[in-house]
Amino acid sequence: MWKSVVYKEWLKIRWFLIGYTLLGILGIGYLFLTVKHGFAFSGGKNVWNSILFMGYQFFSPLKYVPLVGGLTIAIAQYFPETVNKRIKLTFHLPLGENKALLMMHAFGAISLLLSFLVFFGMFAGFSLLYFPVQMVTDSIISIFPWFLAGFAAYFLVALIVLEPEWKFRFYYFVVGGFFLTIYLNSPVTGAYSPANSGLFVLTAFLSIALLFSAYRFRKGEM
Amino acid sequence: MEKISRYLLVFIAILTLAIILPKLYWMAFEKPVRKPFILYSCINDDFMIHRISEKTWEDTKGNQFTREKYEKKLPLMFEKQLITSGSMPDSIKGIALDMRTISKEKSFFRLKANEIDAPAPGLYPLFESQSGRAKIELPEDFFRITWRIDFIDAATNKVLEEKSQLFSAALFQKGFSFPAKKISGISTPRKSVDEGYFIVDSKDRLFHLKMIKGNPYVKQIDIPEGLKFSHISCVDFKNKDFYAYLFSDKNEIYILTQDDYQLIKWPVEGFDASNRDLKIFGDLFNYTVIIEAEDHTKAIALNSDYQVVKTYTETWKLKEEQPEGKIFTSLFPAQVSMTSDNSKFIRFYFSLSEGFKWIFLNLLLMAFHFIWLYRRKVKLKNHLADMGIVAVSGIFGFIAVHFFPNKFFD
Repeated sequence: MWKSVVYKEWLKIRWFLIGYTLLGILGIGYLFLTVKHGFAFSGGKNVWNSILFMGYQFFSPLKYVPLVGGLTIAIAQYFPETVNKRIKLTFHLPLGENKALLMMHAFGAISLLLSFLVFFGMFAGFSLLYFPVQMVTDSIISIFPWFLAGFAAYFLVALIVLEPEWKFRFYYFVVGGFFLTIYLNSPVTGAYSPANSGLFVLTAFLSIALLFSAYRFRKGEM
Repeated sequence: MEKISRYLLVFIAILTLAIILPKLYWMAFEKPVRKPFILYSCINDDFMIHRISEKTWEDTKGNQFTREKYEKKLPLMFEKQLITSGSMPDSIKGIALDMRTISKEKSFFRLKANEIDAPAPGLYPLFESQSGRAKIELPEDFFRITWRIDFIDAATNKVLEEKSQLFSAALFQKGFSFPAKKISGISTPRKSVDEGYFIVDSKDRLFHLKMIKGNPYVKQIDIPEGLKFSHISCVDFKNKDFYAYLFSDKNEIYILTQDDYQLIKWPVEGFDASNRDLKIFGDLFNYTVIIEAEDHTKAIALNSDYQVVKTYTETWKLKEEQPEGKIFTSLFPAQVSMTSDNSKFIRFYFSLSEGFKWIFLNLLLMAFHFIWLYRRKVKLKNHLADMGIVAVSGIFGFIAVHFFPNKFFD
C-alpha cells in the first residue's frame, strides 16, 4: 500500500522536484562561479578579507532558495488534493487516516531533504575548495536556518492548504508568515549558532502541523 | 496526535506573537533617548554637556553657554574651529600648544557591547611588522590557532607547512598553551604601524605575537595571577602610549603600555561589558571615559597619570518607565526577540515584563474566553488547558487559541 501512496505523491511532485533541484544546482554553480571570478580578479586574500572582516557573505544569494523549494513542493503536493476535495480518497485508504497523511507528508519532506542535501553537499564541497574549514563552518551556520525555513514553509503550506475554512487559512498564513521571519534575519556570518538547535526543534514541531488542519478537514462540516 | 499537533501550533503561534506584537508596538510608540554628549574641559575643570536635540551647551552646574563659548572650553577637541576663528589659546596650564602635539595626543575609542558578544572570525592576517614599505600590505595568507598555529594561503587554500611549523615552534618555546581563547589585533592594513596580535592562550596567559622580517616575535606578558581577559581592543593612537584596552571578566579596564608591556588598571567603575557601551576621548591632559547604559551615562575624567579627577552621572527613565512602556507592561507579559542591542548573535532573547500589571489583562482575556466557551455550551473541562494558556501567556495565548481553535475536540 505504501508503495502506491509514494508513487501517487511522486507523480504529483516529480517535475516540480526535478525542476527545482536542477535550478538549485544551477544556482549554486553560479554562486561558485562568482566566487571563482572574485578569486581571479580580486585575489584570494581580498576575497577572504572581505568575508572575514568586511561582512561580505558570498552565500547570500542562497537565502530564499530553500524557502522557494518548500513552497513549491508543498503546493505541488497538496494543492491538487484540495481540488474537489480529493484528499478524502486518501482518508478512505485502509491505512488509518493519520498514517496515510503522514506517509504522504514524510515522502514530500524526504524529497525536499534529498534536494537540500544535494545543495548542501555541493555548497560544502565547493566552499572547501576555496575556504578553510572555519570559514565553511561559519557559512553553514548561516545557511542552516534558511534550509530549516524551507522545511517550515513546506509544513506550513500543507497546514494552510488542507485547512477547510478560508478565515482560518488566513490566520495560519499570518502566523506562519511571521514565524518564517525568525529564520531569515540578516545578521553577521555565524550569528545563528546559538539559535540553530532551537530552530531545529521548532521546525520538527511543525512537521506534524498538518494533522491539525487535516483533522478539521475530515470532521469538517465546512 | 491531532491534539499534540494543535498544542504545538499554539506554542509556535505564542512564540511568533511574542516576537512580532512587541516589536510592532515599539516600532509604533518608542521614543528615542537623546543621550548627552559629554567631554571633560581642561579649561574650567568640569564636564561640558552638549544636548544635541535641544541644541544647548552647558556644564554640570547648569551654566548655559553659546556654541562658541562651549567650543572655547574644549580647545583640544575643537582646535580646528578655534584656529579658524582666531580664538585658540597659545597655552593651557603653562604648556604651549602646537597643532602637532594636540593631534598626536588626541585619541578616540569606542566599544559597543555587541562587538564583544559576537562571532569571532577564526582566521586573521599576520602582517609584516617591518616590511620597510610606507604602506602596510595585506599578506597572502591567514592564520588560525588550533592545536598549533596554521598559516593558510588564500589563493590555494593550502596550509603553509614551513611557516606554520616555524611560528608554532616559537609559540611553543615561549610556553604558549594551545589552543587560543582570544585573538585580538588590528586586522586591517589601514593602520599606521603593525603591532601584530595579543593572544590569550588556553591557560588565560597573555602573549604578543608579530612577524618581523618573516620571523616570529613572541613575548609572554606578565599579568597578575587569576586575571582573565574577556575582551581586548587593540588601538593605533598617534602617541603610541599603549597597545590596547583590555577588559577583564570582572569588567575592569586596563591598558598595556607600548614596548615595556606594563599593564595598568584604570580606576574606572561602572562598566559592564555585557550591556554597556564605552567611549574614551583622550587629549593632552585628560581621558574622558563615557559609560553608556540603557538608563544612564557615567562620565569619568582621568588625568595623564590615569587618576580620576572628576565623575558625573546623568540618569533618565528606562523605556519601561515611560508612559508607553507602562502601557506595554500592562499589555504584554513578556517579549521575545531574535536580536539584541548587546549582541551580534541570534538567540531567543526572552524578557519578562516589569511588574505584574499584565496579570489584569491576562485574567480579563481568560474571563472573556470563558464566557465565549460558556455561550457555546461546550464541555469546559476540555478547555482547561486553553484557559491556563491564556492565563499565563495573556494576549499571545488568547490570539493563539482562537487562531488554532479547540472546537473539534469537544
